[in-house]
Amino acid sequence: MNTPDVTTAAAAPPASMTVQQSPQKVMIVLFKRELWEHRNLWIVPVLVAVLMTLTAFVIHVGNFGPNSHAPRFFTPENRLAWFTIMTWAFSVPQYLIMSLVATFYLMDCLYTERKDRSILFWKSLPVSDAMTVISKLLMGLVVLPLGVYLLAMVFGVLFQVIWAVRVGAGSLPYVAVGWNTLAWLKTQGLMFYALIVCILWLAPIAASLVLVSAWVRKNVFLWTSLPPVIAIILERVAFGTTYIAHLLEYRTWGMWSALGVNPTPPDGGSQGRVVSLADLFDNVEMGKAFLNIDVWLGLAVAIAFVFAAVRIRRYRDDT
Amino acid sequence: MTAVIEARGLKKSYGATHAVDSVSFAIQPGRIVGLIGPNGAGKTTLFKAILGLTQFEGELSVLGRDPRSERNELMQDVCFIADVAVLPRWLRVSQAIDFVAGVHPRFDRSRATDFLRKTDIKMSSRVRELSKGMVTQLHLALILAIDARLLVLDEPTLGLDLLFRRQFYDTLLNDYFDKERTIVLTTHQVEEIENLLTDVIFINRGHVVLDTAVDTMAERYIQLTVSAENAARARQLGPFYEREVFGRVAMFFEGRTAAELTPLGELRTPSVADLFVAKMQGGA
Repeated sequence: MNTPDVTTAAAAPPASMTVQQSPQKVMIVLFKRELWEHRNLWIVPVLVAVLMTLTAFVIHVGNFGPNSHAPRFFTPENRLAWFTIMTWAFSVPQYLIMSLVATFYLMDCLYTERKDRSILFWKSLPVSDAMTVISKLLMGLVVLPLGVYLLAMVFGVLFQVIWAVRVGAGSLPYVAVGWNTLAWLKTQGLMFYALIVCILWLAPIAASLVLVSAWVRKNVFLWTSLPPVIAIILERVAFGTTYIAHLLEYRTWGMWSALGVNPTPPDGGSQGRVVSLADLFDNVEMGKAFLNIDVWLGLAVAIAFVFAAVRIRRYRDDT
Repeated sequence: MTAVIEARGLKKSYGATHAVDSVSFAIQPGRIVGLIGPNGAGKTTLFKAILGLTQFEGELSVLGRDPRSERNELMQDVCFIADVAVLPRWLRVSQAIDFVAGVHPRFDRSRATDFLRKTDIKMSSRVRELSKGMVTQLHLALILAIDARLLVLDEPTLGLDLLFRRQFYDTLLNDYFDKERTIVLTTHQVEEIENLLTDVIFINRGHVVLDTAVDTMAERYIQLTVSAENAARARQLGPFYEREVFGRVAMFFEGRTAAELTPLGELRTPSVADLFVAKMQGGA
């Protein structure tokens, strides 16, 4: 309300606009902060990746002798397909466990700072509420999945190396190996694409967890899980319909139909042929996912949730 | 000089209670202001308003900004320690420094580490491993390393022993305060800080009951100690508060001259603590 005159401007330190941390740098610091506080964000994925890799030492594959039907089944084509499926299967448990870690993290992220009464310390520093809330959402929704993607990729290669050594040493049948760089790249590409679509698709779910976390006074878990259950039951009892259940199911698992992956290879597929993920990659209709209106509607809802969470953190006054 | 904090008709209600009711004051740069009041007087509400942590009615300007709409910019120039703003227990000392250095453009890392070197605090310790006094030292180290223009302290020494409290204020005064900075603080241990204050603002039930510089307090307030026989005569001059001490009566006058009072007994300038009690129980 005061316009500083010349004398005060000279006496006062330079206006704060002149010194500003770049938002990108601040965001990196905020990500680090989350990893310091929520150590499960990196300990659990690393542990799971290591455990998955160790399975390469113990997996036993039946010995396909010359008299078995293995040679017919393990055509070069099918072996390539199995290689891509192995690459995929190696990462699936990691993503499943990650989604649990992410869910619990997002429920907790804005709740713990109020529970341990550190929120005013964080708010005493020049980090906006929007930056804080967005950093937490991005951590659970984007940084963590991308981190797991990289972990799965690196440890997946390690897994293949161990596997190849065992085949070389004769402890696994030759049919069990088949590194193919192009197929590997395509499989990684397909998984990356699926990951991006999942992130976009699940954004409103993740943002809703952040909102609940910003809002509840206690029992985050109950406040996250009970309302949908109660809403589903009430709808069922009152109207005999299941719209909410279907909506939630669609929002949680619907991305598989939105992916635009055609599971049938172009040649229609033949008996005894295993579908290679590398072929699927060639058939992805990316437009189908990115032009899907539900993806963008979900994102709009996510933005609204984030906005609400920011407002709550900014104006809440009960500390 | 433009005031660092200027409040006009500041109001904040929680339901039917007026935590702060039509409060106006101005705090000039280079001052150390004690905001003093009993529990529930509205101090914390006032602080929250200044720091943009709560909504309110009326006008409030902090460093020329409105804390309601310009909080993010304001926090570059304002620091605060509140007894409710605790450092998270999982945080390591080194992480605390890394974090503040990463987000605060005016943070001087070497200042913080120099300060911590003089303490028993280890860089690798977590906050949960530190004693309460050490946590406050850490917090102070972080805050003092920020080149801020306004420092707000809400009961910063709550729960600390006397040695830590003394050290806290010594550090504040010697290592931090200069004529371009302003400190506003509350504490219940008024006696301990009264030598350090340049100004006091007394607040009670949401109202400012006294707003004065400490060095002009002597011109306005006189404490007179009279014997019982002179008490009646002194009372005619209208003390706003009196209390009996060892058979003699201590009376507090506002706006009386020393010449009027000298014949009646001993005169002195009341201490901030005594004046506070007098104002709260008498004149408010």
